[in-house]
This record gives sequence, structure tokens and C-alpha cells, in this order.
Amino acid sequence: METSATDARFREQVLTELDVLYRVARRLTHTSQDAEDLVQDTLVRAYRSFDRFDGRYPRAWLLTILRNTRINQVRKRRPDLLDDEVANKLPATGADGRADATESQALRDHLTPQVRSALAELSPKHRAVVALVDLDGLTYQEAADVLDVPVGTVMSRLHRARKSVRRHLEAVGFLEVDR
Amino acid sequence: MRWLSRDPTPLPARPSCEQVGAVIQAYLDGELGADDAEVVAEHLRHCDRCPIEADKLRRVIEAIRAQRPDLAPDVRSQLEGLLDGVAPPAIDD
Repeated sequence: METSATDARFREQVLTELDVLYRVARRLTHTSQDAEDLVQDTLVRAYRSFDRFDGRYPRAWLLTILRNTRINQVRKRRPDLLDDEVANKLPATGADGRADATESQALRDHLTPQVRSALAELSPKHRAVVALVDLDGLTYQEAADVLDVPVGTVMSRLHRARKSVRRHLEAVGFLEVDR
Repeated sequence: MRWLSRDPTPLPARPSCEQVGAVIQAYLDGELGADDAEVVAEHLRHCDRCPIEADKLRRVIEAIRAQRPDLAPDVRSQLEGLLDGVAPPAIDD
């Protein structure tokens, strides 16, 4: 009875966050299978620590677990890496801001060629912030937690990235050039 | 430059264009506190220059966000399956 009630509360907290967990997992891994594995490991860890969760901000709680789970995965595969190097392995976004442009259409994006090429011109760090905030819908704080950088860094990268995207979209005629 | 929405110093009641420009991104992203957001909105209603800059940024944000991916239904089912493995759904009597 007790377990059933706990399960129900856990499901209620997690169900609505599955999409965002998967989207972020795709940014941090190379394939959709890796992303699923990461989500699964995250759910298991979250369930185990659910009795210590205060019920506030489930998304932030889950994203923190997801990020730490990913770091542990990377560390296990590459024990020679230092902490900073592990952090630099995140995220694993490809040229278009997706984890792997050739992967299956797990995330059915409709990136137009113009926007795709604009994102491809960004550095991985700048692309990651745009992907997390603009495509995955994370707040500045959530993106900062996932990337383990200060909120101010998220904001400045976002600013620079959008400026670059705007220049590109104006140059190719996708956005009107201001007079 | 004052980038941060969480800057402990609130915007003055009549901010300069430079002060508004520094927080316009946070304003458009819905990351400003309510009081600061109202100050920026008021500034934009009366300024000749800032609404043009705000509009440029708003259009690029909209262009990117219009591309937000959907999760394929089969992936959604798979994810719910993962959740079932951790916390099974209650069975109604």
C-alpha cells in the first residue's frame, strides 16, 4: 500500500517531465539509444532518492540527477579524464544542435535549412545553450544547471548566439534586414 | 553590463535605454521579475529606439523557437514504458 502510494506520487511528479528529460538527454549523448539509457538510469536514481525529494521544482531535481548520471557514465567509460574534462564532454551536440543529425527522427524537428545552417555556424557551447533554451524550453537556471555554468554565462552565450543566428538569417533572406 | 535577471538591484523606475538594452533578452524570455518587467514594458511604450531593438531580438527568438521539435509518439510510449519499469501504474479495482 505504502509503495503504491509512493509510486503514484513519483509518477505524478515525473510523467510530465519525461519529454524534457529525453530532449536534454539527446543533447548530452550521441544516439537515441544512449539517451534512452540515460533517461532510464535517471529514473532509477530519482526513484531511489524520492523520499529525500521535497516535492518542489521536480524538473530541476530531475535535470540535476540526469546531469550527474551522465557525468558518472562518462567517467566510467573514461576514468582517465579530469573533472573539467568530463564537464567539457557535455553536451555532445552535433553540427545542427542535435545530438546526431543522422539519427532516427526520435525528435521530430522541422529545422528549416536556413535555421539549421545558422545553428551549424555556432560553436558547440553557444549551440548547446540555444538548443536547451530555445528548442528544449529550459529556463536560464535549468540550462545553467545542465551545463554546470553560471546563469550569467548562459545569458551571455545566448545573446551572442542569437546575434549570430540573426546575422545569418538576415544574410540568407530568412529574416527581413532592418532598414 | 547588467546582464542578469537575478541582479539584486532592481531597475530604476525610469531606466535609460542602455539599462533596458541590457535586460531586454531576459525580458523577452520571461526571465525578468514582475517589477522589472513592468518597468521595461513601460519604457518600450514610450521609447522610439528600444522597441526596434526588442523587435529584432524577438523575431530571431521566434524564428528559432518555431523549430521546436516534437517528440515522436513511439518515443513517448517507450519513455512511459521506462517509467512503468521504475514505478508501475496503480491498478484500479
